[in-house]
Amino acid sequence: MEVLRRAANPWGQEVLIGIGWDLVWLAVVASAAFVVGHMVWVRLRGGFTHEASEPGPGSSGLPERVERHSFAARAFHWVMSAAMLVLLVTAFVPVLGLQFPWVTLHWVAGLALLATVLWHIVHSIGWQDLGSMWVSARDVREGFAELRQSLDPKAPPAPRAGKYPFDHKLYHHVVVVVSFGAIATGLLMMLRIDTPFWDRNTYLLSDAAWGWTYLVHGLSGVSLIGLVAGHIYFAIRPEKRWITWSMVRGWIDREHYLAHHDPERWNVGVDAGARRGAGAIADAVARAPDQDA
Amino acid sequence: MATIRDMMPAFELFQPATVEDAVALLAEHGREAWALAGGLDSMDWFKDRIKRPRVVIDLGGIPDLTGIQERGEGLDIGAMTSLSAVAADERVRSRFQLLADAASQVATPQIRNQGTLGGNVSQDTRCWYYRSGWPCYRAGGNTCYASAPQAMNREHCILGASRCVAVNPSDTAPALVALDATMDVRNRRGTRTVAAEDYFVGPAIDITRMTALKPGDLLTSIRVPADWAGARFYFEKVRDRGSWDFALVTVAAAFRTAGGRIDQARVVVNGVAAYPVRLHDVERLVTGAPASEETAQAAGDLAVQGARPLKYNGYKLALMRNLVRRAVRSAA
Amino acid sequence: MAEKLIGTDIAPPDLVAKITGRARYAEDFRADGMAFAKLLLSPMPHARVRRIDAERALSMPGVLGILTADDVPQRDAPAEQCLTNEPVYEGEPILAVAAVDEATAAEAVERIRVDLEPLPFVLDPLESLRPGGADAHVQGNVIVDREWKSLKWTAEEFASAEAAGRLPMGEPTSEWSHGDVDAAFAAADLIVEETIVHQSVTHHPMEPRSNMAFWQNGKLHIFASTQSTARTRAALASALELDLEDIVFVAEYCGGGFGSKISGSTVMQIPALLSRKIGRPVMHRVTRYEENYFGRARPGFQGWVKMGFRADGRMTALDLYLVEEGGAYGSGDFGTAGAVAHLTYTPENVRVRAVSVFTNTPPKAAQRGPGGAQIISMLEPIVDKGARQLGVDRLAIRSLNAPGSDVRFGPRLMGLTSVHAREALELGARTFGWDEKRMLSGRRNGTKVTGVGIGLSPYTAGSRGYDGLMVVRPDGKLHVHQGIGNLGTHSIADTARPAAELLGLSWDQVEIHWGDTSLGVPRSSNQAGSQTTHAHTRANHAAAEDAKRKIQEVAARTLGGAPGDYVLDGGRVFRRGSRGSGMSFADVARRAIELGGHFDGHELPDDIHAETVTAASKVAGQGLVGVAKDNYGGDGAGVYSWVVGFAVVELDTETGVVEVVDYTGATDCGTVIHPRSLGAQVLGGSIQGMGMAMTQRWVFDPKWGVPFAKRLYTARPPGMLDVPLNAQWAAVGIPDPTTPVGAKGIGEPPVGAGAAAITCAVADALGGRCLCRTPLTPDIILTELEGLRKPYSPTATHIG
Ligand SMILES: Cc1cc2nc3c(=O)[nH]c(=O)nc-3n(C[C@H](O)[C@H](O)[C@H](O)COP(=O)(O)OP(=O)(O)OC[C@H]3O[C@@H](n4cnc5c(N)ncnc54)[C@H](O)[C@@H]3O)c2cc1C
Repeated sequence: MEVLRRAANPWGQEVLIGIGWDLVWLAVVASAAFVVGHMVWVRLRGGFTHEASEPGPGSSGLPERVERHSFAARAFHWVMSAAMLVLLVTAFVPVLGLQFPWVTLHWVAGLALLATVLWHIVHSIGWQDLGSMWVSARDVREGFAELRQSLDPKAPPAPRAGKYPFDHKLYHHVVVVVSFGAIATGLLMMLRIDTPFWDRNTYLLSDAAWGWTYLVHGLSGVSLIGLVAGHIYFAIRPEKRWITWSMVRGWIDREHYLAHHDPERWNVGVDAGARRGAGAIADAVARAPDQDA
Repeated sequence: MATIRDMMPAFELFQPATVEDAVALLAEHGREAWALAGGLDSMDWFKDRIKRPRVVIDLGGIPDLTGIQERGEGLDIGAMTSLSAVAADERVRSRFQLLADAASQVATPQIRNQGTLGGNVSQDTRCWYYRSGWPCYRAGGNTCYASAPQAMNREHCILGASRCVAVNPSDTAPALVALDATMDVRNRRGTRTVAAEDYFVGPAIDITRMTALKPGDLLTSIRVPADWAGARFYFEKVRDRGSWDFALVTVAAAFRTAGGRIDQARVVVNGVAAYPVRLHDVERLVTGAPASEETAQAAGDLAVQGARPLKYNGYKLALMRNLVRRAVRSAA
Repeated sequence: MAEKLIGTDIAPPDLVAKITGRARYAEDFRADGMAFAKLLLSPMPHARVRRIDAERALSMPGVLGILTADDVPQRDAPAEQCLTNEPVYEGEPILAVAAVDEATAAEAVERIRVDLEPLPFVLDPLESLRPGGADAHVQGNVIVDREWKSLKWTAEEFASAEAAGRLPMGEPTSEWSHGDVDAAFAAADLIVEETIVHQSVTHHPMEPRSNMAFWQNGKLHIFASTQSTARTRAALASALELDLEDIVFVAEYCGGGFGSKISGSTVMQIPALLSRKIGRPVMHRVTRYEENYFGRARPGFQGWVKMGFRADGRMTALDLYLVEEGGAYGSGDFGTAGAVAHLTYTPENVRVRAVSVFTNTPPKAAQRGPGGAQIISMLEPIVDKGARQLGVDRLAIRSLNAPGSDVRFGPRLMGLTSVHAREALELGARTFGWDEKRMLSGRRNGTKVTGVGIGLSPYTAGSRGYDGLMVVRPDGKLHVHQGIGNLGTHSIADTARPAAELLGLSWDQVEIHWGDTSLGVPRSSNQAGSQTTHAHTRANHAAAEDAKRKIQEVAARTLGGAPGDYVLDGGRVFRRGSRGSGMSFADVARRAIELGGHFDGHELPDDIHAETVTAASKVAGQGLVGVAKDNYGGDGAGVYSWVVGFAVVELDTETGVVEVVDYTGATDCGTVIHPRSLGAQVLGGSIQGMGMAMTQRWVFDPKWGVPFAKRLYTARPPGMLDVPLNAQWAAVGIPDPTTPVGAKGIGEPPVGAGAAAITCAVADALGGRCLCRTPLTPDIILTELEGLRKPYSPTATHIG
């Protein structure tokens, strides 16, 4: 298997030019294997019957629908997903053999991704609760408990998460890092093609620097195949579908809220105590009654 | 690894006598196989040790691939028919002079005797960076050396660049596109017919190949339909010297005219992109228009709209514009 | 009566072998156990070899050995080694591998790892002269008084010149002048001034410089591709530090050299050394790809010229500045260029400044008319510009400025033996039909414009003092031993004609021996500088006079009477008036062997060269030996021939394509020896010049410092369809009075004429606009015609 692609430059010096395309196949096969393996495993395990812990107190004042994602957040997610899908398809489908003009689509999608990400950063700093994405020690413990519970149905039920469970946060952060690698290197690589903004310059960086750029871009891309494939897979799994729906509709129902979330940490009740800033929770609270109506 | 050129490395040579055997061999050896026609492009690659197929399948001994058959007013030209045979054929000359002109402008008499029509349309680009064995996009790398700010690119493209800026070197290709020819491509799964316009592939779609041929594919024949038989044709090739030279820019055009008006037109230019560029807009513009100097001027201007020259090939814009004008003028 | 041999068309003796393919060129020779060599070339334009790892190559079956720079005679740059550890151009040979066949040798080369440290490189001499610019060698970029120096001009010198779109002109390394140019310009009625660029173009002879060598009994046997024979052996002997007699040198045919193989080539040493190392014969077949790198090239010029004219067209002042692209190992074409410019226009006030800069481009060498061809092709259209502005006819301005036989020119004001430039102009104009054809200038036919041009080109054409050696053998024939090379010019045969004519022989009574030093070859000139015809008609004439004297003496001794009573004709010697009596040459030869002494070469003249002595001893006793040094004198005066080219071109204003539709070359080269061959030289050389001006191109990538056009077809020498089929030639035919046969050389002057006729005709078609750069390809011309922004600077070279 070819992991790295190297070539002799015009002076006969060996230079790195990027990842081996075999890695694309590897990522596709690995993703498929994971999905199939997971499905088989779930079947063997007998599916998920979620034994939620007892709903805590204070559920009485809860609205029927609990807002989980604001419109802005959802819009971001879907635009970003579309960009990401276009990026992956334009990057790898030609490598896998189906040819079409992909370059312009790819960089335009890349710029779209960059724009959504920038917007997301600004939005989340200004209007969302950054803290809710913070991975605390407790999140890690919960994450492990959840994992143990899913592996061993007899294990004690995992404690309920705050707004975002550990695995979601972890996924988000991994995607952040990988996408950042892809975007940063992608921007550099755009300097090697003609765009309406500039004329290309192949020699802006040294051979070696370009090699690393391509390597990072390639590795990020290939990783994203796995990350996106896993994400989509879980999004359509029956036991997770309520979360997916929340990304469409914006809310989750009270039952899921109570079953999966710890109202202590994701307080959406009217009687909520301390409000942490004018973030998502405030939005949810403000709008929840209307949705109920 | 040190580089050495001009010394052909060993390969396994197969000399099938039938199309079936050739197809089977191509299928069996896949990416490791190379179809050898006249060898004028192939041998260059072999001698330079840049392309190193393990297996070479010489098509020269397959009688079914050679010769020109009539099909109504149209012609089926076997892929292995030599360029001189194409240029000299009475039927080609009387019906499709455009193709005869194109074939007779290729390189030199020796090369035309040896080179085949199938090979001519399937040949690789002559970009001097790529031909030097540099690891450019077309060679599977991640760079286009020819489009670097200080690069030497007078012979490169002004249209259809997508990372790679190489041009298609074939003289017969634009003529065949203008004649609405089709290519019969055979592989183990069967035969498919590809329109000449789709046979040539730009780097946006496939940066490592110039044609729709994939490993395992054999081009068996080139069919020129009757549609344009006996039309008015214009072919002009501009090159640095009178023979033994690839085109800087070539124009191939076909017209049907009546009463000084152009009823139907095909205008194709080569040497300006990685594929022969059929100028649909120009064709629309001139169709129904008088074959006048004004039409020619407008056609030339329209032809180069959107063209984007590199550092040293700005002249190609003017050249392409002028050649299209001349083609349209010829319809008068 | 014997045939008239001088001035007739006689097929040379090697013709049939060449046409039938039986002629043996260097790569056609074989020897038992012969191995093949392949080279590893530097991939970088300037580098230092840190380490060579040949382990994987040497362990391959069939690989016989390796030769590296450490195994070859060491030289200090700018002298060139045949293999190097500090390559100064891409393609310079670093090592050679010998194997049982070429495929194995090539694979072995591929397996070798050479660790190279890249060093700064420079392609454009002006870039090297710029402050902070790279030097092509670590020692510097120019050589002044035999010392390396790093010459840099000031930023101000560059800035002001570039702002004005003119050549920067800092401190030159060479300068000479006569008169006072500044005063002359002040007094001139018209001044024209231009920056000029003449490209550097490769030689690309048909036959690459292949060689085969083996050693036997301590002697080196070498089969080489070279222009010269005796002189190449001498060059090789000195390169390898061998005794001349320890080399058996064979070079029967040469597929062209054009100055790139004057005394062989540097790579010729490789098979010799490799063979000595591995103890087997070694063949090195040079490829076209390699030829592109070490097959030599004409140096390029970036220049500036200012001409002052009087109202009648007389050039009163010429100021010339040349920056020469010296390539990896330097070059001095600028010297001849300055002298030729002075000679062609004879301005009283002249200044020539030049700097030849080493660059990391492949090595330069003489290329047919070195210096002269470049400068004439660049200056002639500028003279036309002057003529146009003054309203003077272009033929007249050339006649007016051209010299006569009394000329003195160049830095040392050299004189010439004879000059008939004006006669050549007149003859050419008549043959071409100048009076009618000049009216075609500017004629429009559709998109085509006609241009008419004249190029007047002088070049050196002779030398003196070599030896002739010939034997009348008992077979009755004259056997002429030629130490000169056989580079396709027919000199081996044609320079023997005066000898045969002097001895009253017809051509079928003459045998030529050439191409193998073991046959005994006299001291000869190099086949370069167009000197052979002049030098060796003289040497053979001298040896024939010696033979004639001896034949008459033998006859007198045998048949009685005084030697002066005897005449020679038809292979017999007889008393004047009694043709029926006398002796045949066969008898004379036998008698000479009997007589011995000086008759059969056992006693030799004192003044012949040591090489000739050795050669003569080889033939001594074979018959009557004629051997002599050319003592006809004339030293001090230069020998120059002239060619004037007249061309009509049609320039397509929509495509930039130039078609040469008519051409005439007229020459002053003294007595015509072989008309057909002379025509081939006049027109062939002119065509080479047309290619240089129009089609040939050598492009370099500035980032990597490497050339393109590595193939014959990409180097684009002109082909059959680029030349007019009705081209004509004519010769003035006035004998040079200082040489017994009256013949001067012809190889080189046509190049400048052909090139200049084109540069002038194209400028004429452009309405007098001189592009002042070569090549004049469609892109360059169309850029001008369409008024496009030029993608290159006024001094840019190697672009495309
Ligand atoms: C010096 C020189 C100058 C030239 N100048 C010109 C010119 O001015 N104009 C011009 O148009 N051409 C020019 N050519 C190209 C030449 O005319 C040939 O047409 C061309 O190189 C290929 O033809 P070929 O028959 O030699 O094919 P090959 O070189 O054997 O094949 C070319 C390619 O096509 C593939 N191929 C060939 N036939 C088939 C088939 N039946 N099925 C599948 N694949 C196939 C081969 O695998 C190979 O990749 C020049 C070539 C040279 C060497």
